[in-house]
Amino acid sequence: MKRLASLVVVFTLMPASAAWATELDELLEQSREAAYTAEQIISCSTPDGVRYAIVKIAQSNGEIRMTSTVAGDVQVSSGDGGWTLSRQGGVISSALVDSEMEPVEPLYVVEDTGNTNFLGRDAMVHQLIRDGVLRAELVFDDETGALVAATTFTANGDTYCERRFVSFDSADPGLESNDLHETDELQPSSEFETLLPESVAGFDRLDLYEDEVGFRFAYYSDGFFSFAVFETPTTVDLPDAKTVQFGEGAYQRSFTAGQATYVWETRSGGMALLGDLPPDLHEAVLATLPPSRDPGILRRIWRSLFG
Amino acid sequence: MTHPSELISAYLDGELIGDETSKLLSHLATCGRCSADLEELQSVRTAVRSLPVLELPPGLVPEADAFVVPIHRNRGVWVGAAAAAVALIIAIASIVTPPPVSISVDDLTSRFGARASLDPAFSPAKVVVPVLGELSE
Repeated sequence: MKRLASLVVVFTLMPASAAWATELDELLEQSREAAYTAEQIISCSTPDGVRYAIVKIAQSNGEIRMTSTVAGDVQVSSGDGGWTLSRQGGVISSALVDSEMEPVEPLYVVEDTGNTNFLGRDAMVHQLIRDGVLRAELVFDDETGALVAATTFTANGDTYCERRFVSFDSADPGLESNDLHETDELQPSSEFETLLPESVAGFDRLDLYEDEVGFRFAYYSDGFFSFAVFETPTTVDLPDAKTVQFGEGAYQRSFTAGQATYVWETRSGGMALLGDLPPDLHEAVLATLPPSRDPGILRRIWRSLFG
Repeated sequence: MTHPSELISAYLDGELIGDETSKLLSHLATCGRCSADLEELQSVRTAVRSLPVLELPPGLVPEADAFVVPIHRNRGVWVGAAAAAVALIIAIASIVTPPPVSISVDDLTSRFGARASLDPAFSPAKVVVPVLGELSE
Protein backbone atom coordinates (compact mmCIF):
# COMPACT_ATOMS: atom_id res chain seq x y z
CA MET A 1 0.00 0.00 0.00
CA LYS A 2 2.87 2.31 0.87
CA ARG A 3 4.49 1.52 -2.50
CA LEU A 4 1.25 2.34 -4.31
CA ALA A 5 1.00 5.59 -2.41
CA SER A 6 4.56 6.55 -3.29
CA LEU A 7 3.94 5.78 -6.96
CA VAL A 8 0.89 8.03 -6.89
CA VAL A 9 3.02 10.77 -5.32
CA VAL A 10 5.75 10.36 -7.96
CA PHE A 11 3.33 10.57 -10.88
CA THR A 12 1.50 13.46 -9.26
CA LEU A 13 4.73 15.41 -8.84
CA MET A 14 6.01 14.57 -12.34
CA PRO A 15 5.39 17.44 -14.78
CA ALA A 16 2.75 16.75 -17.40
CA SER A 17 5.32 17.17 -20.16
CA ALA A 18 7.79 14.70 -18.63
CA ALA A 19 8.21 11.18 -19.90
CA TRP A 20 10.41 8.27 -18.90
CA ALA A 21 13.41 7.74 -21.02
CA THR A 22 12.01 5.62 -23.84
CA GLU A 23 11.32 9.03 -25.33
CA LEU A 24 15.04 9.75 -25.12
CA ASP A 25 15.75 6.64 -27.17
CA GLU A 26 13.22 7.73 -29.80
CA LEU A 27 14.66 11.24 -30.01
CA LEU A 28 18.21 9.96 -30.36
CA GLU A 29 17.14 7.33 -32.90
CA GLN A 30 15.56 10.08 -35.04
CA SER A 31 18.73 12.11 -34.68
CA ARG A 32 20.87 9.19 -35.90
CA GLU A 33 18.70 8.77 -38.99
CA ALA A 34 19.07 12.42 -40.00
CA ALA A 35 21.40 13.39 -42.87
CA TYR A 36 23.12 16.77 -42.89
CA THR A 37 26.34 18.75 -42.81
CA ALA A 38 27.10 21.25 -40.07
CA GLU A 39 29.78 23.13 -38.24
CA GLN A 40 29.98 22.52 -34.51
CA ILE A 41 31.64 24.35 -31.64
CA ILE A 42 32.60 22.25 -28.63
CA SER A 43 33.45 24.04 -25.41
CA CYS A 44 34.09 22.28 -22.11
CA SER A 45 34.82 23.88 -18.74
CA THR A 46 37.00 21.27 -17.07
CA PRO A 47 38.76 21.41 -13.69
CA ASP A 48 41.99 21.86 -15.68
CA GLY A 49 40.75 24.72 -17.86
CA VAL A 50 38.58 25.26 -20.93
CA ARG A 51 38.90 22.84 -23.85
CA TYR A 52 37.36 23.74 -27.16
CA ALA A 53 37.26 22.66 -30.75
CA ILE A 54 35.55 23.67 -33.97
CA VAL A 55 34.71 20.82 -36.31
CA LYS A 56 32.85 20.21 -39.54
CA ILE A 57 30.33 17.39 -39.27
CA ALA A 58 28.73 15.27 -41.95
CA GLN A 59 26.15 12.66 -40.97
CA SER A 60 24.49 10.14 -43.23
CA ASN A 61 23.46 6.47 -43.02
CA GLY A 62 24.18 6.37 -39.27
CA GLU A 63 27.79 7.43 -39.73
CA ILE A 64 29.31 10.68 -38.51
CA ARG A 65 32.47 12.26 -39.90
CA MET A 66 34.24 15.07 -38.10
CA THR A 67 36.90 17.14 -39.80
CA SER A 68 39.06 19.68 -38.05
CA THR A 69 38.60 23.23 -39.23
CA VAL A 70 42.14 23.91 -38.04
CA ALA A 71 43.91 20.92 -39.56
CA GLY A 72 41.65 20.03 -42.46
CA ASP A 73 43.49 16.81 -43.20
CA VAL A 74 42.55 15.23 -39.86
CA GLN A 75 39.30 13.33 -39.78
CA VAL A 76 37.36 11.12 -37.37
CA SER A 77 34.81 8.67 -38.79
CA SER A 78 32.50 6.92 -36.39
CA GLY A 79 29.41 4.74 -36.54
CA ASP A 80 28.08 1.19 -36.42
CA GLY A 81 30.87 -0.05 -34.15
CA GLY A 82 33.72 1.56 -36.05
CA TRP A 83 36.02 4.47 -35.25
CA THR A 84 38.86 5.73 -37.43
CA LEU A 85 41.26 8.61 -37.06
CA SER A 86 42.96 9.47 -40.32
CA ARG A 87 45.28 12.14 -41.64
CA GLN A 88 45.75 12.90 -45.31
CA GLY A 89 43.79 9.75 -46.10
CA GLY A 90 46.12 7.53 -44.08
CA VAL A 91 44.70 5.71 -41.06
CA ILE A 92 46.42 6.64 -37.79
CA SER A 93 44.23 4.63 -35.47
CA SER A 94 41.10 2.54 -35.88
CA ALA A 95 38.93 -0.03 -34.13
CA LEU A 96 35.88 -2.11 -34.87
CA VAL A 97 33.81 -3.69 -32.09
CA ASP A 98 30.63 -5.68 -31.76
CA SER A 99 28.19 -5.64 -28.86
CA GLU A 100 26.02 -8.39 -27.42
CA MET A 101 24.33 -6.60 -24.54
CA GLU A 102 20.96 -4.97 -24.64
CA PRO A 103 21.20 -1.21 -24.09
CA VAL A 104 20.77 -0.17 -20.50
CA GLU A 105 17.40 1.22 -19.46
CA PRO A 106 18.05 4.97 -19.31
CA LEU A 107 17.80 6.39 -15.82
CA TYR A 108 16.69 9.80 -17.00
CA VAL A 109 13.40 11.60 -16.95
CA VAL A 110 12.99 13.52 -20.21
CA GLU A 111 11.23 16.83 -19.81
CA ASP A 112 9.96 18.65 -22.86
CA THR A 113 10.65 22.31 -22.14
CA GLY A 114 9.19 23.85 -25.27
CA ASN A 115 9.90 25.18 -28.73
CA THR A 116 12.75 27.40 -29.72
CA ASN A 117 14.33 28.84 -32.82
CA PHE A 118 17.81 27.54 -33.59
CA LEU A 119 19.79 28.83 -36.58
CA GLY A 120 16.53 30.16 -38.01
CA ARG A 121 14.82 26.78 -37.79
CA ASP A 122 12.13 25.42 -35.51
CA ALA A 123 13.53 23.23 -32.77
CA MET A 124 12.45 21.52 -29.56
CA VAL A 125 14.28 21.63 -26.23
CA HIS A 126 14.40 18.59 -23.92
CA GLN A 127 16.02 18.30 -20.52
CA LEU A 128 17.45 15.09 -19.07
CA ILE A 129 17.00 14.79 -15.33
CA ARG A 130 18.49 12.07 -13.18
CA ASP A 131 17.69 11.74 -9.47
CA GLY A 132 16.17 15.21 -9.57
CA VAL A 133 19.33 16.76 -11.04
CA LEU A 134 19.41 18.40 -14.47
CA ARG A 135 22.22 16.65 -16.36
CA ALA A 136 21.72 17.65 -19.98
CA GLU A 137 19.73 19.92 -22.25
CA LEU A 138 19.27 18.77 -25.84
CA VAL A 139 17.96 20.75 -28.80
CA PHE A 140 16.50 18.78 -31.74
CA ASP A 141 15.78 20.25 -35.13
CA ASP A 142 12.04 19.83 -35.84
CA GLU A 143 12.29 19.06 -39.54
CA THR A 144 15.17 16.56 -39.56
CA GLY A 145 15.26 15.37 -35.94
CA ALA A 146 18.99 16.16 -35.81
CA LEU A 147 20.51 16.94 -32.43
CA VAL A 148 21.79 20.45 -33.08
CA ALA A 149 22.90 21.43 -29.56
CA ALA A 150 23.69 19.61 -26.36
CA THR A 151 24.74 21.05 -23.02
CA THR A 152 25.79 18.87 -20.10
CA PHE A 153 25.86 19.95 -16.47
CA THR A 154 27.56 19.06 -13.22
CA ALA A 155 25.45 18.22 -10.17
CA ASN A 156 25.56 21.80 -8.88
CA GLY A 157 24.20 23.18 -12.17
CA ASP A 158 27.43 24.42 -13.73
CA THR A 159 27.85 23.86 -17.45
CA TYR A 160 30.39 21.13 -18.22
CA CYS A 161 30.30 20.81 -22.01
CA GLU A 162 28.40 22.64 -24.69
CA ARG A 163 28.27 21.36 -28.26
CA ARG A 164 26.28 23.48 -30.66
CA PHE A 165 25.97 23.77 -34.41
CA VAL A 166 26.84 27.17 -35.81
CA SER A 167 25.79 26.26 -39.34
CA PHE A 168 23.42 23.59 -40.61
CA ASP A 169 22.57 22.22 -44.06
CA SER A 170 19.96 19.48 -44.25
CA ALA A 171 21.18 18.22 -47.64
CA ASP A 172 22.34 14.59 -47.52
CA PRO A 173 26.17 14.48 -47.80
CA GLY A 174 25.85 10.87 -49.09
CA LEU A 175 28.63 9.38 -47.03
CA GLU A 176 29.97 6.06 -48.13
CA SER A 177 30.38 3.48 -45.40
CA ASN A 178 33.58 3.72 -43.40
CA ASP A 179 36.07 1.26 -44.90
CA LEU A 180 37.10 -0.89 -41.95
CA HIS A 181 37.01 -4.30 -43.59
CA GLU A 182 40.68 -4.91 -42.85
CA THR A 183 40.23 -4.25 -39.14
CA ASP A 184 39.52 -7.30 -36.98
CA GLU A 185 36.21 -6.93 -35.18
CA LEU A 186 36.57 -7.22 -31.42
CA GLN A 187 33.87 -9.45 -29.96
CA PRO A 188 32.52 -9.07 -26.44
CA SER A 189 33.24 -11.90 -24.06
CA SER A 190 32.75 -12.65 -20.39
CA GLU A 191 34.81 -15.81 -20.28
CA PHE A 192 37.66 -14.36 -18.28
CA GLU A 193 38.18 -13.09 -14.76
CA THR A 194 38.23 -9.34 -14.42
CA LEU A 195 38.53 -6.74 -11.70
CA LEU A 196 36.09 -4.49 -13.54
CA PRO A 197 32.83 -4.39 -11.53
CA GLU A 198 29.35 -5.04 -12.94
CA SER A 199 28.22 -1.59 -11.90
CA VAL A 200 30.07 1.58 -11.00
CA ALA A 201 28.45 4.54 -9.26
CA GLY A 202 25.15 4.09 -11.10
CA PHE A 203 26.70 3.04 -14.42
CA ASP A 204 26.10 -0.52 -15.68
CA ARG A 205 28.78 -2.59 -17.34
CA LEU A 206 27.38 -3.45 -20.77
CA ASP A 207 30.20 -5.26 -22.55
CA LEU A 208 33.57 -6.79 -21.71
CA TYR A 209 36.29 -7.27 -24.30
CA GLU A 210 39.63 -9.06 -24.38
CA ASP A 211 41.88 -9.13 -27.41
CA GLU A 212 44.44 -11.75 -28.41
CA VAL A 213 47.22 -10.13 -26.35
CA GLY A 214 45.17 -9.92 -23.16
CA PHE A 215 44.18 -6.28 -23.52
CA ARG A 216 40.86 -5.91 -21.66
CA PHE A 217 38.21 -3.25 -21.40
CA ALA A 218 34.64 -2.75 -20.24
CA TYR A 219 32.05 -0.28 -21.47
CA TYR A 220 29.74 1.40 -18.94
CA SER A 221 26.65 3.54 -19.48
CA ASP A 222 23.79 5.09 -17.56
CA GLY A 223 21.72 5.57 -20.72
CA PHE A 224 23.31 8.88 -21.71
CA PHE A 225 26.83 9.33 -20.34
CA SER A 226 29.28 6.52 -20.91
CA PHE A 227 32.86 5.56 -20.32
CA ALA A 228 35.28 2.69 -20.88
CA VAL A 229 37.73 1.26 -18.37
CA PHE A 230 40.85 -0.52 -19.59
CA GLU A 231 43.05 -3.07 -17.82
CA THR A 232 46.44 -2.97 -19.47
CA PRO A 233 49.54 -5.09 -18.90
CA THR A 234 51.82 -2.04 -18.89
CA THR A 235 51.36 1.62 -18.12
CA VAL A 236 49.51 3.95 -20.50
CA ASP A 237 51.33 6.95 -21.93
CA LEU A 238 49.16 10.07 -21.55
CA PRO A 239 50.87 13.19 -22.95
CA ASP A 240 50.42 16.54 -21.18
CA ALA A 241 48.61 14.94 -18.26
CA LYS A 242 48.10 16.54 -14.89
CA THR A 243 48.56 14.53 -11.68
CA VAL A 244 45.54 14.58 -9.37
CA GLN A 245 44.93 12.90 -6.05
CA PHE A 246 41.74 11.04 -5.17
CA GLY A 247 41.76 9.34 -1.80
CA GLU A 248 45.18 7.79 -1.34
CA GLY A 249 45.80 7.33 -5.05
CA ALA A 250 47.53 9.45 -7.69
CA TYR A 251 46.01 9.61 -11.17
CA GLN A 252 47.17 11.16 -14.44
CA ARG A 253 44.37 13.18 -16.02
CA SER A 254 43.80 14.85 -19.35
CA PHE A 255 40.78 16.54 -20.90
CA THR A 256 39.92 17.09 -24.54
CA ALA A 257 36.81 18.83 -25.83
CA GLY A 258 34.19 16.38 -24.60
CA GLN A 259 36.29 13.63 -23.12
CA ALA A 260 38.10 12.99 -19.86
CA THR A 261 40.95 10.49 -19.63
CA TYR A 262 42.51 9.08 -16.46
CA VAL A 263 45.41 6.65 -16.31
CA TRP A 264 46.93 5.08 -13.23
CA GLU A 265 49.18 2.30 -12.08
CA THR A 266 48.04 -0.71 -10.13
CA ARG A 267 50.05 -3.52 -8.59
CA SER A 268 49.38 -5.70 -11.63
CA GLY A 269 49.78 -3.17 -14.47
CA GLY A 270 47.98 -0.09 -15.70
CA MET A 271 44.42 1.13 -15.91
CA ALA A 272 42.72 3.86 -17.89
CA LEU A 273 39.29 5.46 -17.97
CA LEU A 274 37.94 7.40 -20.94
CA GLY A 275 34.51 8.96 -20.99
CA ASP A 276 32.19 11.91 -21.35
CA LEU A 277 30.78 11.89 -17.83
CA PRO A 278 30.79 15.22 -15.95
CA PRO A 279 33.71 15.86 -13.55
CA ASP A 280 31.61 15.68 -10.38
CA LEU A 281 31.13 11.95 -11.05
CA HIS A 282 34.80 11.14 -11.59
CA GLU A 283 35.81 10.56 -7.98
CA ALA A 284 32.82 8.32 -7.23
CA VAL A 285 33.56 6.19 -10.31
CA LEU A 286 37.29 5.92 -9.60
CA ALA A 287 36.59 4.98 -5.97
CA THR A 288 34.95 1.71 -7.03
CA LEU A 289 37.63 0.68 -9.52
CA PRO A 290 40.93 -1.06 -8.68
CA PRO A 291 42.90 1.68 -6.93
CA SER A 292 45.95 3.60 -7.93
CA ARG A 293 48.90 2.07 -6.09
CA ASP A 294 52.62 2.52 -6.24
CA PRO A 295 53.83 -0.84 -7.51
CA GLY A 296 57.03 -0.58 -5.46
CA ILE A 297 60.62 -0.28 -6.54
CA LEU A 298 61.15 -3.98 -7.30
CA ARG A 299 58.09 -4.21 -9.52
CA ARG A 300 59.12 -1.00 -11.28
CA ILE A 301 62.55 -2.47 -12.02
CA TRP A 302 60.97 -5.73 -13.17
CA ARG A 303 58.48 -3.90 -15.45
CA SER A 304 61.12 -1.60 -16.85
CA LEU A 305 63.15 -4.64 -17.77
CA PHE A 306 60.58 -7.16 -18.87
CA GLY A 307 57.30 -5.27 -19.28
CA MET B 1 28.83 -1.08 2.62
CA THR B 2 32.15 0.81 2.63
CA HIS B 3 35.35 -1.03 1.65
CA PRO B 4 35.40 -3.90 4.21
CA SER B 5 39.08 -4.84 4.17
CA GLU B 6 38.89 -6.64 7.51
CA LEU B 7 36.12 -8.89 6.17
CA ILE B 8 38.25 -9.84 3.16
CA SER B 9 41.02 -11.07 5.42
CA ALA B 10 38.52 -12.95 7.59
CA TYR B 11 36.93 -14.43 4.45
CA LEU B 12 40.27 -15.85 3.33
CA ASP B 13 40.75 -17.32 6.81
CA GLY B 14 37.27 -18.88 6.69
CA GLU B 15 36.22 -16.88 9.73
CA LEU B 16 33.10 -15.15 8.42
CA ILE B 17 29.87 -16.03 10.16
CA GLY B 18 26.16 -15.72 9.35
CA ASP B 19 25.37 -13.73 6.24
CA GLU B 20 28.74 -11.96 6.23
CA THR B 21 29.97 -14.16 3.35
CA SER B 22 27.02 -13.43 1.07
CA LYS B 23 27.19 -9.70 1.90
CA LEU B 24 30.91 -9.62 1.12
CA LEU B 25 30.51 -11.54 -2.16
CA SER B 26 27.75 -9.23 -3.36
CA HIS B 27 29.95 -6.24 -2.48
CA LEU B 28 32.89 -7.76 -4.38
CA ALA B 29 30.70 -8.07 -7.47
CA THR B 30 30.34 -4.29 -7.60
CA CYS B 31 33.64 -3.08 -6.17
CA GLY B 32 36.81 -3.38 -8.21
CA ARG B 33 38.82 -1.89 -5.35
CA CYS B 34 37.93 -4.71 -2.95
CA SER B 35 38.27 -7.34 -5.70
CA ALA B 36 41.82 -6.09 -6.27
CA ASP B 37 42.49 -6.27 -2.51
CA LEU B 38 41.19 -9.84 -2.41
CA GLU B 39 43.33 -10.87 -5.36
CA GLU B 40 46.40 -9.29 -3.84
CA LEU B 41 45.88 -10.94 -0.45
CA GLN B 42 45.33 -14.28 -2.13
CA SER B 43 48.54 -13.95 -4.14
CA VAL B 44 50.53 -13.03 -1.00
CA ARG B 45 49.11 -16.03 0.88
CA THR B 46 49.87 -18.32 -2.03
CA ALA B 47 53.42 -17.02 -2.25
CA VAL B 48 54.02 -17.47 1.49
CA ARG B 49 52.58 -20.97 1.47
CA SER B 50 54.76 -21.98 -1.46
CA LEU B 51 57.94 -21.31 0.54
CA PRO B 52 59.80 -24.54 1.45
CA VAL B 53 59.63 -25.69 5.06
CA LEU B 54 63.08 -26.38 6.49
CA GLU B 55 63.54 -28.61 9.47
CA LEU B 56 66.45 -27.93 11.79
CA PRO B 57 68.64 -30.97 12.42
CA PRO B 58 68.72 -32.06 16.07
CA GLY B 59 71.47 -30.38 18.09
CA LEU B 60 72.05 -27.64 15.52
CA VAL B 61 71.46 -24.76 17.86
CA PRO B 62 74.20 -25.59 20.44
CA GLU B 63 76.68 -26.18 17.61
CA ALA B 64 75.66 -22.95 15.89
CA ASP B 65 76.14 -21.07 19.15
CA ALA B 66 79.73 -22.21 19.20
CA PHE B 67 80.34 -20.75 15.75
CA VAL B 68 78.27 -17.59 16.08
CA VAL B 69 81.23 -15.22 15.85
CA PRO B 70 82.75 -16.63 12.61
CA ILE B 71 79.32 -16.78 10.94
CA HIS B 72 78.63 -13.11 11.67
CA ARG B 73 82.03 -12.18 10.35
CA ASN B 74 81.32 -13.92 7.06
CA ARG B 75 77.77 -12.65 6.59
CA GLY B 76 78.80 -9.29 5.17
CA VAL B 77 80.89 -10.96 2.53
CA TRP B 78 78.06 -13.23 1.44
CA VAL B 79 75.47 -10.43 1.40
CA GLY B 80 77.80 -8.25 -0.62
CA ALA B 81 78.48 -11.04 -3.08
CA ALA B 82 74.75 -11.75 -3.48
CA ALA B 83 73.98 -8.05 -4.04
CA ALA B 84 76.75 -7.80 -6.62
CA ALA B 85 75.41 -10.88 -8.42
CA VAL B 86 71.87 -9.46 -8.50
CA ALA B 87 73.15 -6.10 -9.75
CA LEU B 88 75.15 -7.85 -12.45
CA ILE B 89 72.12 -9.87 -13.59
CA ILE B 90 69.94 -6.72 -13.70
CA ALA B 91 72.62 -4.80 -15.60
CA ILE B 92 73.01 -7.56 -18.19
CA ALA B 93 69.23 -8.01 -18.52
CA SER B 94 68.72 -4.27 -18.99
CA ILE B 95 71.27 -4.27 -21.81
CA VAL B 96 69.97 -7.31 -23.68
CA THR B 97 66.22 -6.73 -23.14
CA PRO B 98 64.47 -4.01 -25.17
CA PRO B 99 62.48 -1.60 -22.96
CA PRO B 100 58.74 -2.42 -22.76
CA VAL B 101 56.50 -0.37 -24.99
CA SER B 102 53.97 1.67 -23.04
CA ILE B 103 50.47 1.71 -24.49
CA SER B 104 49.43 4.79 -26.40
CA VAL B 105 46.18 6.42 -25.37
CA ASP B 106 45.25 6.44 -29.09
CA ASP B 107 44.76 2.67 -28.91
CA LEU B 108 42.29 3.16 -26.08
CA THR B 109 40.52 6.11 -27.70
CA SER B 110 39.82 4.15 -30.88
CA ARG B 111 38.25 1.28 -28.96
CA PHE B 112 36.17 3.54 -26.76
CA GLY B 113 35.11 5.53 -29.81
CA ALA B 114 34.12 2.37 -31.68
CA ARG B 115 32.06 1.02 -28.78
CA ALA B 116 30.43 4.41 -28.13
CA SER B 117 29.20 4.46 -31.73
CA LEU B 118 26.97 1.48 -30.88
CA ASP B 119 25.43 3.32 -27.93
CA PRO B 120 21.77 4.34 -28.35
CA ALA B 121 22.86 7.81 -27.24
CA PHE B 122 25.42 8.05 -30.07
CA SER B 123 25.11 11.45 -31.73
CA PRO B 124 27.27 14.46 -32.62
CA ALA B 125 27.24 15.10 -28.86
CA LYS B 126 29.01 11.80 -28.19
CA VAL B 127 31.55 11.41 -30.97
CA VAL B 128 34.84 10.74 -29.24
CA VAL B 129 37.36 13.47 -29.98
CA PRO B 130 40.92 12.14 -29.82
CA VAL B 131 43.44 13.18 -27.21
CA LEU B 132 45.91 13.96 -29.98
CA GLY B 133 44.59 17.48 -30.09
CA GLU B 134 44.61 17.84 -33.85
CA LEU B 135 40.89 18.46 -33.79
CA SER B 136 41.24 21.10 -31.10
CA GLU B 137 42.42 24.60 -31.64
